[in-house]
Amino acid sequence: MTDLAPLTALGAAAPRVTRLGSFTLSENADLALASLALRRGGETPAPFGLALPGPAGWTAGEGVAAFWTGPGQWMVEAPGRAAEDFAAALRAEAPGASVTEQTDGWTAVEIVSAAGEGLAERLLAKLVNLDPASLVPGRARRTGLEHMGVFVIRRAPEHFAVLGARSSAASLWHALEAAAGRIAAA
Amino acid sequence: MTRLTGGLIDRGRKLHFTFDGKAFSGHPGDTLASALLANGTVLMGRSFKYHRPRGPISAGSEEPNALVELRTGARTEPNTRATVAELYDGLDARSQNRMGSLAFDLLGVNDLVSPFLTAGFYYKTFMWPRAFWEKLYEPAIRRAAGLGSLSFEPDPDAYDKGFLHCDLLVIGAGPAGLAAALTAARAGARVILADEDFRLGGRLLAESAPLEGVAAADWIAGLEAEFASLPNLRVMRRTTVWGAFDHGIYGAVERVADHLPVPGGLPRQTLWRITARRAILAAGATERPIAFADNDRPGIMLAGALRAYANRWAACPAKRVAVFTNNDDGHRTVLDLRAKGVEVAGVIDPRAGAKPLGDYRVFAGGRVTGTRGRLGLKSVEVTTDGRSEWLDCGALGVSGGWNPNLHLASHHRGRPVWNDAIQAFVPGEGGPVGLLAVGAAAGEMTTAGALEGGARAAVEALGALGIDASAPELPRGTDSFAAPEPLWHVPGKRRAWVDFQNDVTVKDIRLAHQENMRPVEHLKRWTTLGMATDQGKTANVTGLAVMAELTGRRIPETGTTIFRPPYTGVALSVLGGGDTGAHFRPRRLTPTHSWAESRGAVFTEVGPWMRAQYFPRPGETEWRQSVDREVLAVRSGVGLCDVTTLGKVDVQGADAGAFLDRLYCNAMASLKVGMVRYGLMLREDGQAWDDGTCARLAEDHYVVTTTTANAVPIFRHMEFARQCLWPELDVQLISTTDAWAQIAVAGPKARVLLERVVDGFDLSNETFPFMACASLTVAGGLRARLFRISFSGELAYEIAVPARYGAALMERLMEKGADLGVAPYGTEALGVLRIEKGHAAGNELNGQTTARMLGLGRMVSAKKDSIGAVMSRREGLAADRRVLVGLQPVDPVGPVVAGSHLFAEGAERRTETDEGWITSACYSPHVGAAIGLGFLEGGAERMGEVVIAANPLQGQATRVRVVSAHFVDPEGGRLRD
Repeated sequence: MTDLAPLTALGAAAPRVTRLGSFTLSENADLALASLALRRGGETPAPFGLALPGPAGWTAGEGVAAFWTGPGQWMVEAPGRAAEDFAAALRAEAPGASVTEQTDGWTAVEIVSAAGEGLAERLLAKLVNLDPASLVPGRARRTGLEHMGVFVIRRAPEHFAVLGARSSAASLWHALEAAAGRIAAA
Repeated sequence: MTRLTGGLIDRGRKLHFTFDGKAFSGHPGDTLASALLANGTVLMGRSFKYHRPRGPISAGSEEPNALVELRTGARTEPNTRATVAELYDGLDARSQNRMGSLAFDLLGVNDLVSPFLTAGFYYKTFMWPRAFWEKLYEPAIRRAAGLGSLSFEPDPDAYDKGFLHCDLLVIGAGPAGLAAALTAARAGARVILADEDFRLGGRLLAESAPLEGVAAADWIAGLEAEFASLPNLRVMRRTTVWGAFDHGIYGAVERVADHLPVPGGLPRQTLWRITARRAILAAGATERPIAFADNDRPGIMLAGALRAYANRWAACPAKRVAVFTNNDDGHRTVLDLRAKGVEVAGVIDPRAGAKPLGDYRVFAGGRVTGTRGRLGLKSVEVTTDGRSEWLDCGALGVSGGWNPNLHLASHHRGRPVWNDAIQAFVPGEGGPVGLLAVGAAAGEMTTAGALEGGARAAVEALGALGIDASAPELPRGTDSFAAPEPLWHVPGKRRAWVDFQNDVTVKDIRLAHQENMRPVEHLKRWTTLGMATDQGKTANVTGLAVMAELTGRRIPETGTTIFRPPYTGVALSVLGGGDTGAHFRPRRLTPTHSWAESRGAVFTEVGPWMRAQYFPRPGETEWRQSVDREVLAVRSGVGLCDVTTLGKVDVQGADAGAFLDRLYCNAMASLKVGMVRYGLMLREDGQAWDDGTCARLAEDHYVVTTTTANAVPIFRHMEFARQCLWPELDVQLISTTDAWAQIAVAGPKARVLLERVVDGFDLSNETFPFMACASLTVAGGLRARLFRISFSGELAYEIAVPARYGAALMERLMEKGADLGVAPYGTEALGVLRIEKGHAAGNELNGQTTARMLGLGRMVSAKKDSIGAVMSRREGLAADRRVLVGLQPVDPVGPVVAGSHLFAEGAERRTETDEGWITSACYSPHVGAAIGLGFLEGGAERMGEVVIAANPLQGQATRVRVVSAHFVDPEGGRLRD
């Protein structure tokens, strides 16, 4: 075990959590990520028993989840496993596929509305140009947010995650916090 | 005049406000204009050019006259229409475009010299002498002919944006819009109903009895209750849909806090981008005036506006009024005003057989031929059958008919068509796809027609989407309408205004006709008709009609007038939206950013990245001292630099090598596992594009690096090649730029330092030579990647760890290297080191240079094809004789200025004799002088020759000697040690 101390994408030892009205924004710093891409003609695997979703889909299994990122491509999530070599674990589950470590390529912010899905959708309307009807629970989309490329995952009616480039974590957090704060203030 | 009875104002509450410092009061529900009128103040502004006293002529967003400044300090907002400014307690409003008081404006002198200030006057008069324009004429004209003024302070308020999606967007909440929204919402469709007003109802609010058997206010209240219970309907008050864009996208501005003294935690306004599968334009119609002599006095307003003020706001500018109308609608104003106890002096109706609709005097066949009253209307001259008489009145309602608000329907160059039945333009073909105009906006001028049409349009629009809807039971609306008898202006010698905001009169249009400025586009630009904040809503059609009369043609033959967004003025703040200052755009921070900050680093922007530029130490007073020290630390000991910003692309697949062979001009498939190769990519046109390294981690796994600037374009290019050019190859790509923190460890002591952090990895030259790479662990088991590559010319490595450990690794290296003299270095030192080594960077790879010019011509492999290879051999490109050289000033303390152009000594310095240019320059602490890199014709054969570096912009011409581009270790021994 290394004795180097990790920092979260927001540059602190501990993940950031902010409550704004009925919203809770949390930096999901322990989320391990690895990309999975099929080789030409390769069979779609079922890593960790997970049925990989189709276009715009997100599926959660036992301790792992995956969302579609392109034809024959997925991002596999493993909450709480950022310190491990999760890519190696995934590679073992998907022999013959291309797997790339992505854990620190991203910052993940989990946003939960304690006042139901309507409020969550009000916030989504301020963030991304996606029709809520196409972003129901179980959907994940790649889109732009304040000039940043992000993935938005609807994990539950009142819960969505925004994944953005790790290097712009501070800008992304600011954008999310400002939008949620305005709705909370209204 | 005090308040009339009735109205949709809350008399239980008083709102206090000031206008030009004088205290007034009004009620919730008032606009600034209605409250001022109710307080007996009609004079609200001065005209643009002649500074004529002006009052409001409308009761809506089409207002050209009553432009005021609201608020104070940084929140001062000029050119606000008093007719739509919602009254709030504490509102501070001021008139504008005056010198002195509003009642005695010194610039009113312009009106006396008006015969000289006709259309085209400025174009003709102030052209000479040319030099006077910028310094003298323009500032003077701007002072006199301005609108409001800016505070020149930063806007303290926040502006927001958002995105909405719906099946049906209904624009306008008058009878047609309400009927459409109700129909669609009851059918379960996702509906947005937007209206610029703060109250739903549109024209229903301004009429006394538009519906039969039910009061309009009651019907609207019932609807609002139902609307609130429908989750699929979003009602947006104070929201102007201002533009129709491609693919069913509409721009809308919601004035979230304009009606509040200060926004508090709210954004001031929100810009909404609404994606609508279908849209209904129910924007109503705008009444148009008739031009007659001195028709611009305060108190002369549109008859429909006079009626709206009386019915909705219980306000009237005078106790005794008259109406000048060519249609029945003007008579309605008289009936409503009389019902409210206002005395009517008479109705002047140019129609020969005009009859009163009640007990009042009608001047059938009459016309208004003059007016009196300096700061407010006192009387009008009525001429009937050649006989004239003066009629005392404090206000005159004018109606020349109504123009449909078809603006949005013409946003995709949909050309309006003339409709003789209503004497107006209506929406034509070719407008935005999926947009249906209904009600008055479509030329359906009755309430009954608007209600029915709105419901019908909603059924039709939803039907096209496969949603079944049926028209709901609606109240019966009034259905009387008589077309106006055309009368656009009353001929006469005195000025008759067509465009109030721009002070354009019938005379100006006549002059434009004389000067052959007859097409409508010329008419507009020559006279300024239809320009400025109101965009000619009350003027365009009348102007066209006057021109038609002068040319002896019909109106549709004379031209038409179409509109661009925005429908009404939109503040740049809300268009800009979002953040200002530090958060204006996203920033990318390196994994060691906070560490560098804690060491006092000075940062520089590199695209979106913030990179440490240099790390000043105590006692260093000037940046060069820090940079020179950092450079020397690398050359003599060891330096550390965060190079995470370089693009990294993970390339996997059975054909990864073949794929890279086609992308890079040099061979990559032949690279051995565990080795790195420098690579150059060409553009399709054969020019050099981007350089980087390619590391082979396994047979089917490479990691490619790009320059910082091109990280995104190169990744996009690679994806394009993978998906579109060679889909048959087995290749998978993903960016890993952010995933790994990468630190350059450079200098003769780099190996010693690294040995202290790697977990038992053999770094000897034998097992890990120059250009080797490996996966390994550091600091007790942390996975890492190590590349032995050098940008500085020294023994150097780049070590990568998962980004979250980047700062800790940097600290560890600093700690372990203390006895080796380790120093962090920034982008400045990085630049100096690479110039000293003669490495090309962005300055040399500027899109105008070739591999051959860079001295890399032999890298373009002839054994295989790659993007740009064939084009790089074309005659024009291959013949370029300029090559990369080093340059050093002949005078040891002389400068080298990047961007200077190179000429032979003694040659005349012209484009034809230009021999190249200097791309990069710096002070080299290693050489002890300024040095540079540049491209020079036949440079390789000119070593030792002196050429002139000319910088004509700053009058410099320096003698520089041509030397090798490698100022440091030209043999490359240090790299391989």
